[in-house]
Amino acid sequence: MKTSKTVNLQPPASNEAKAEDRDAMGRTQRKSEVRLGREVQARIGQQLRALYDEVVSQGVPPHIADLVRKLSDQDDGVA
Amino acid sequence: MKLDPAIRDQVLGTVPSLRAFAISLCGNIDRADDLVQETLLRALAHIDSFQPGTNMPAWLFTILRNLFRSEYRKRRREVEDADGRYAETLKSHPEQTGRVEFNEFRAALAKLPSDQCEALILVGASGFSYEDAAAICGCAVGTIKSRVNRARTRLADLLAIDNVDDFGPDRATRAVLASGGRN
Repeated sequence: MKTSKTVNLQPPASNEAKAEDRDAMGRTQRKSEVRLGREVQARIGQQLRALYDEVVSQGVPPHIADLVRKLSDQDDGVA
Repeated sequence: MKLDPAIRDQVLGTVPSLRAFAISLCGNIDRADDLVQETLLRALAHIDSFQPGTNMPAWLFTILRNLFRSEYRKRRREVEDADGRYAETLKSHPEQTGRVEFNEFRAALAKLPSDQCEALILVGASGFSYEDAAAICGCAVGTIKSRVNRARTRLADLLAIDNVDDFGPDRATRAVLASGGRN
């Protein structure tokens, strides 16, 4: 698969954001839109990691630890 | 021949994040644990094809992801577990993320196409580089970037996050009140 093919799929959001950043005239409204966009992204990332890390923090369930030990102790490799 | 304990420990060390990835894909904890077990069975049966010194997490995630796509994906999007065991097992999610908001987020995540969902999780939560994520998913780096972008945009739409206040305590309070005030 060619990477060049995917370039056009990128949403134009980042370009717009930069344009808005530079737009001193329309500042109040547009600046805050840019800022909110970033906060929204940060917040999504935070929730995503909270969800994920909650599972990670549960560690290795005992039945899975047993399984791995049993399989790795088998004399003749596995399966 | 017994498995090298160092390799075994690398496998065990990857299990927690492997489970988190599996749960994100399956949306159901029982199915996710089945998927993890089957992944480990396959991985240990083919441990010879793992090259020591290379990226164990990426290797295991690749096996799990392929297994999911070949056998589990069809069964994925039944959200019968909406308030079920998955939520119950997550007893102590951070206080700043209220239960209602948390469930909304999980439901929104389940609505993403699975290729966008997996890209977002791999990069945004598992901490893989775009390059590793692309290798795991068997696609180009640009494709991963595009999927992550679309996933974030879609999540923001689904959650109707267009105002920073939507994320504040007020929203959580309102949501709790709307749900009848139970905790």
